[in-house]
Amino acid sequence: MTGVLPWATLIVCLAITMIRLPGALRGHNRSLFWIFALITFAILLSIEGPYLTIDALLGGINLTNLLLRFILYATFLLVGVKAAKGFGSPNGVRAIRGPIGLAVLAVVAGLTVFFFLLTDTRGSSVGLTGLPFSHSLEAYAALGRLYPGYVSACLLPGIWRTVVGHGPLLLRVASALFMLGLVLLVISQTFPLIPPALAWLRPLINYSAALSIALGLGGIGLSKVVSRRQNGPVPGVRTDRVRGKAS
Amino acid sequence: MPLPSKAFQHWLNGVAPQESMADISRISGVKRTTLAQQMVRGKVAETTVVSISRAYGINPLDSLASFEAYSELHGPLPAPSPGELISLVSTLDMLQALIERTRPENKAAADLDDPMHPTSVKNWVDAIDDGELRTRVSDITGIAPQNFSAHLTANRMPPELALATARAAGVGPTAGLVAIGLITEAEAGWPPDARRTALNALTDGELALLAGDRLQAWGKTLRRHEQDQENTERIWENLG
Repeated sequence: MTGVLPWATLIVCLAITMIRLPGALRGHNRSLFWIFALITFAILLSIEGPYLTIDALLGGINLTNLLLRFILYATFLLVGVKAAKGFGSPNGVRAIRGPIGLAVLAVVAGLTVFFFLLTDTRGSSVGLTGLPFSHSLEAYAALGRLYPGYVSACLLPGIWRTVVGHGPLLLRVASALFMLGLVLLVISQTFPLIPPALAWLRPLINYSAALSIALGLGGIGLSKVVSRRQNGPVPGVRTDRVRGKAS
Repeated sequence: MPLPSKAFQHWLNGVAPQESMADISRISGVKRTTLAQQMVRGKVAETTVVSISRAYGINPLDSLASFEAYSELHGPLPAPSPGELISLVSTLDMLQALIERTRPENKAAADLDDPMHPTSVKNWVDAIDDGELRTRVSDITGIAPQNFSAHLTANRMPPELALATARAAGVGPTAGLVAIGLITEAEAGWPPDARRTALNALTDGELALLAGDRLQAWGKTLRRHEQDQENTERIWENLG
């Protein structure tokens, strides 16, 4: 299960990135293309083979993991702003891109580097699971979960309104999937409470979150395409509930 | 609650004793598969009985009355109140009437829209509601108030619920069945100009206020649709 999930996630993310490439070349929503490219790269760096290869090039001290953290921070900053705008949540935009949001990001990023330097990270290990236990390593890992969790929490109320709203069904299902991924990221803050015997839950939650978010975002794009096909290029306001004389 | 198939079969034997199911479905326009499915499940829709009755020239009200759940439809039935009749006048017809009164030269064709108009179910319930009707209906039938409201918003209501609502309001059963589109005015036994007469009997002030209420509700519905549409477009613009 946990062996297939990473590769499945990678393939899905790569596929969505490739699907978005032609549109991005034409100038259509380029930042969303970069978001998917970043997610894909992040998943790639979470899989053992690619991770060890790249980390060997970077000196074998798990600098790749630090790189992965910063890719994730950048991705969540971009996704967070886009999604908060899209789901009509000005509070969310402020909480992510406003002074507080940027301060959270700066502190998390700074502390991430600090705890990385504090930890003895010699010996390439994907997810740093092979390194001996240390409090600085725990803190480093917690910080890596904190920022995505923070952004997710900022987005949940706005997305919920869409999920229970009156939009197209496909859009609501995709939004629900996206929301599920974000909820999992919020839940992942409790990883230190998971007993060692259930350690397999961690990658399961992480990859399920990544997969839900990718499929959700992809589904939102799909719902737009489907709706445009059905209703023509410029959808007007639907007034079919209150129509005029049936002459 | 749809009709039990045993009772339906019994009724059908009385209506068309010689006909096969294929004939019945061809004459009545009810799809054969639909008919078969409803019989197998033991739940025959009221609309099926209405369609078959019409095809065989029988008044659907009389047909429905032969089923136990609809026995109260045995005539003679009380006439609908003027308020009920007005509720079955479409908003546009109401506005048209208002214009005709102030500018008689703008007279349009005399025919009113169908009594089942885009908001007829809600308007009918509003017309017979004394303020406590919804609570009484949900007490009697066990339907949750939000489900009752959902029926009104969707402009649909199961015939049985329409009857229960009429009963709880102490009005005759026909207007509700007309409002939900199950039967026509003529089948309900109303004079052909009943709604027009009720409309003409309104004073200018009453008509203007009623039309204003309707416009207000219509505007809210339109605005809600527009906002839903704007939300969707904004999501697609950012994440599509």
